[in-house]
Amino acid sequence: MNLIETALDVLDIGVDRFDYTAGGLHAQAWVRPEQLRPACRALYSLGFFLETVTAVDLIAGEIMQGVYLFNHYEQNMRCKIILETERINPVFPSIGAIYPGAVWHERETGEFFGITYENSRDSRCLLLPEETTFHPLRKDFKPQGQPVDTP
Amino acid sequence: MFESETAPTYHLETVEDNQFVLNLGPQHPGTHGVLRVVLHMDGEYILTADPVLGYGHRMQEKIAETMTYTQVLPYMARMDYLGALSYNQAWVCLIEKMCGLEVPRRAEYIRVLCVELNRIASHFLWFGAFLLDLGAFTPFLHAFADREKILDLLESVTGSRLTHCYFRFGGVGADVDDDFFAGAQAFVDHMRQHLPTYHSLVTGNVIFQERTKDVGVILPFETWGYGLSGPVLRGSGKQYDVRRSEPYSIYPELDFKIPVEQSGDCLARYLVRLREIEESLNIIEQAVAGMPDGPVRSKVPKIIKPPEGEAAMAVETPRGELMIYLVSDGTKVPYRVKYRVPSFANLSIFSHLARGQLLADVLAILGSLDMVIPEVDR
Repeated sequence: MNLIETALDVLDIGVDRFDYTAGGLHAQAWVRPEQLRPACRALYSLGFFLETVTAVDLIAGEIMQGVYLFNHYEQNMRCKIILETERINPVFPSIGAIYPGAVWHERETGEFFGITYENSRDSRCLLLPEETTFHPLRKDFKPQGQPVDTP
Repeated sequence: MFESETAPTYHLETVEDNQFVLNLGPQHPGTHGVLRVVLHMDGEYILTADPVLGYGHRMQEKIAETMTYTQVLPYMARMDYLGALSYNQAWVCLIEKMCGLEVPRRAEYIRVLCVELNRIASHFLWFGAFLLDLGAFTPFLHAFADREKILDLLESVTGSRLTHCYFRFGGVGADVDDDFFAGAQAFVDHMRQHLPTYHSLVTGNVIFQERTKDVGVILPFETWGYGLSGPVLRGSGKQYDVRRSEPYSIYPELDFKIPVEQSGDCLARYLVRLREIEESLNIIEQAVAGMPDGPVRSKVPKIIKPPEGEAAMAVETPRGELMIYLVSDGTKVPYRVKYRVPSFANLSIFSHLARGQLLADVLAILGSLDMVIPEVDR
């Protein structure tokens, strides 16, 4: 039983192991939205550090995938927490109260994908101008012909 | 403990009599690049500090989704222009891992040699800029004179002094000659003699010690919540370096130490970086001595098409852990690329560190975090 399985075992979340040499990932775990915060709390208590919070827009399946990558300082153990929701007005729970560094990642991912992070303590735009209404990393965004006022 | 913190607001009518809002940057000479920090002050003390990012934002992740894998490569150097070769290495190693490409051993040695030279150059620039922030001008001149030697060396192999694009899938762009090895060895010998000057000029200086000791302390239990890495993390007593924990290239065969300091203040981060320069010199010496003969580039397909799936690749840049997460749909264009950049995570702890500090100390903290704004903004 590796460290991720130890963390997620009590929450009854299944862990799929990966071939690390092929993809650089040790394991992944699918969670439901209400399981995300307990899972992150368990990882935090075992000292997993937050690598990134991001998303993947799977336009073919009309799915927005939330991707959370964690690693550990003491032993090499990269794990991916993954959850899915519909593409239209996607909402994920915020983990900023558990991992304070996640607030910036969520602000960035939120503005790029049009994702709302529920109960986030700061949901302003981070990298794009404040009044931005488009979401450039959504697959239906066309890079051309979107004039924008720069500050 | 963090749940009570809310987003800072700046309505002048809510500011009390002895408080004011100070705008630090984006053109303030004390800041690096185009970082803007809105400081809510009470006299000389910071109540809240709110970094405002995005002045150098170019949407690199969207650019990567519109190009082939080979076309993305030059863009890597435009993120962290001070550690460009580390970014080169992350991208080529990721694609090589996904496509199963072979890399000749000579190419791996040349890569490590160039990356470590680049790391030292980056630390020199940080050293100069950090001490300029603290009001010392002479160390800047020493650091830039030595950095110039590295830039000359790297220019002779990569063709550029900044934003190098030298690595290729399956090897490096061109072979290097013996002059380069002789130059690298001469640089190592020169630095071994010159590095004590840095310490006698700066490290033992009373003013420098007063300005950095016990300032901006990052406690070990704060590190993983913010995802810190690199010298910022190692200054807080965590011995985490991707070159050792997740070995790539030829690093497992090389003999070098991971410098760690326990105190977590600006001085600790300064000492870690200076000791890293020494360790990088050791690596360069070993790479020159052990340089094998042979080809520098293996045969790779003209069109790079990684198989469908996902992969992550982490490397240690001068600022910490760079991780690229790639989702491929089997075509010649990436489906999704995520750059996890070290400066972004390291800067996110800044507002926590700045709270309650003096304005002059905040400049020391900003300098000691060593962020590159084009990398944060991407």
